[in-house]
Amino acid sequence: MLNVANAERSEQADHAALITLVETIEALSATRTIEEVAAVVRSAARRMSGADGVCFVLRDGDQCWYLDEDAIGPMWKGQRFPMSACISGWAMLHGQTVVVPDIYADDRIPHDAYRPTFVKSLVMTPVRPKDPIAAIGAYWAVGQTPSPDTVIRLEAMARATAAAIENARLYASLNEALERRTFLLRELDHRVKNTLASVQSIARQTLRAAPTPTDFAESFESRLMGLSRAHELLTRQAWGRTDLRDVLEAALQPFGGLADPRFTARGPAIALTAETAVALHMTLHELMVNAAKHGALTSASGQVTVVWRIEEVEGDGEGGGGAGPSLVLEWVERGGPPVFVPKRQGFGTKLLERGVARDLGGEARLTYQPKGLSYALRAPLSDRIAAATAPRALA
Amino acid sequence: MTAPRIMIVEDEALVALMVEDLLTDIGCRISGSFGAVDEALDYLKDAAAPPPALDGAVLDVNVGGTMVFPVAERLRAAGIPFVFATGYGALPRKGFEDVLVLNKPIDPVLLEGAVKGFGQAA
Repeated sequence: MLNVANAERSEQADHAALITLVETIEALSATRTIEEVAAVVRSAARRMSGADGVCFVLRDGDQCWYLDEDAIGPMWKGQRFPMSACISGWAMLHGQTVVVPDIYADDRIPHDAYRPTFVKSLVMTPVRPKDPIAAIGAYWAVGQTPSPDTVIRLEAMARATAAAIENARLYASLNEALERRTFLLRELDHRVKNTLASVQSIARQTLRAAPTPTDFAESFESRLMGLSRAHELLTRQAWGRTDLRDVLEAALQPFGGLADPRFTARGPAIALTAETAVALHMTLHELMVNAAKHGALTSASGQVTVVWRIEEVEGDGEGGGGAGPSLVLEWVERGGPPVFVPKRQGFGTKLLERGVARDLGGEARLTYQPKGLSYALRAPLSDRIAAATAPRALA
Repeated sequence: MTAPRIMIVEDEALVALMVEDLLTDIGCRISGSFGAVDEALDYLKDAAAPPPALDGAVLDVNVGGTMVFPVAERLRAAGIPFVFATGYGALPRKGFEDVLVLNKPIDPVLLEGAVKGFGQAA
């Protein structure tokens, strides 16, 4: 009779444990974040094991992160230990459940970390034994050998937890992707509108200076093509930093780029932000078009030298740069027809003197000498314009 | 009537050049055109002292990564009217919900209307 009663009680206990496990799996399947998973695990593990405390430990690189706990006394919540220096690390590294009836008799346990706690016995089971991502620990205040049933229940919970953690991570990455998409769409809208504003400006100002519709069409299209080439270059760089030399190469592309023997280019690697690259490209485009119409590129023996360098300025605040290093870029034409100061200031001149220099808080000067036009830009180094860290081979 | 004196804050030189032209064409005088918030604030130290040397301002909102709001606050404190011109569709601009926003590209008719509004407000 007694045995039958015991068997019935044991059956009822099994039944209750099964219900708890199913409820836990249901609760885990509704979780969306690691924190929610931890909250479910911590209360369910304690109920199912009858332990005096449980821990939920996440693997974080080569560290064990004691994310959450539910216990009769404080354990290690929020702390991190090296994988090699704690029992959760051992369980995860070996992909095995550990049963420790007496922690002070087991040298895998860092005894000093346990002395301030109530713990005398423990079970630690890894989550996803093949490639553990977490561990669940159950702890007892009275020394004992936890029953095989308890171990099996904890292991079953650990299996359900593995799926929940992966779901939570998937949710997190999905949310991140959605946020990124929204951000990119907003950014795209912003860039399109700004680009349209640039085109609007180019159109209005080209129109102002154009004597005939044909002149307008020619100048406007040339500038539009220049802008398009600048954007192509930026897309290749994923709108990140662009090297000054690449900007120059793109701007001179209608002349075959720097391969044309009439060009000489010399200077260190300079990283430009996308916006600065576009502005500098427009400047170089205007210089090239002007050289092709009136300057050194009208003749086969003409020379265009583009040199740039970083100059340390003795800080007198003069030159728009103030103290600190500046980028100095010079475009010098020689060997073209004699140069005269233009009678009126067109859009090209305005853009050269006030365009990129204004953008960068620097200054630019056009010099009309009979032997050739020259243009000098000086702009302080900033987050928009910086000496590139990696040295670059120079041509 | 004298030409209204307008300040421009716009980080893109190309757009700034156009706004300067648009304003000059409708009879305004450009009292200052700045590509950075700091420069505009420096300018306002003197310009905002009464009597104001400014009749209005056209402000880009995101100026090279810096929000233009400190400039807007100083203008408001000095009683100088202004409008925003921005390529961002919807911008958080707590405290400036009543300020007119011109979208980029800029509609010259709306800009002219805004500047005429400056005259009435002043």
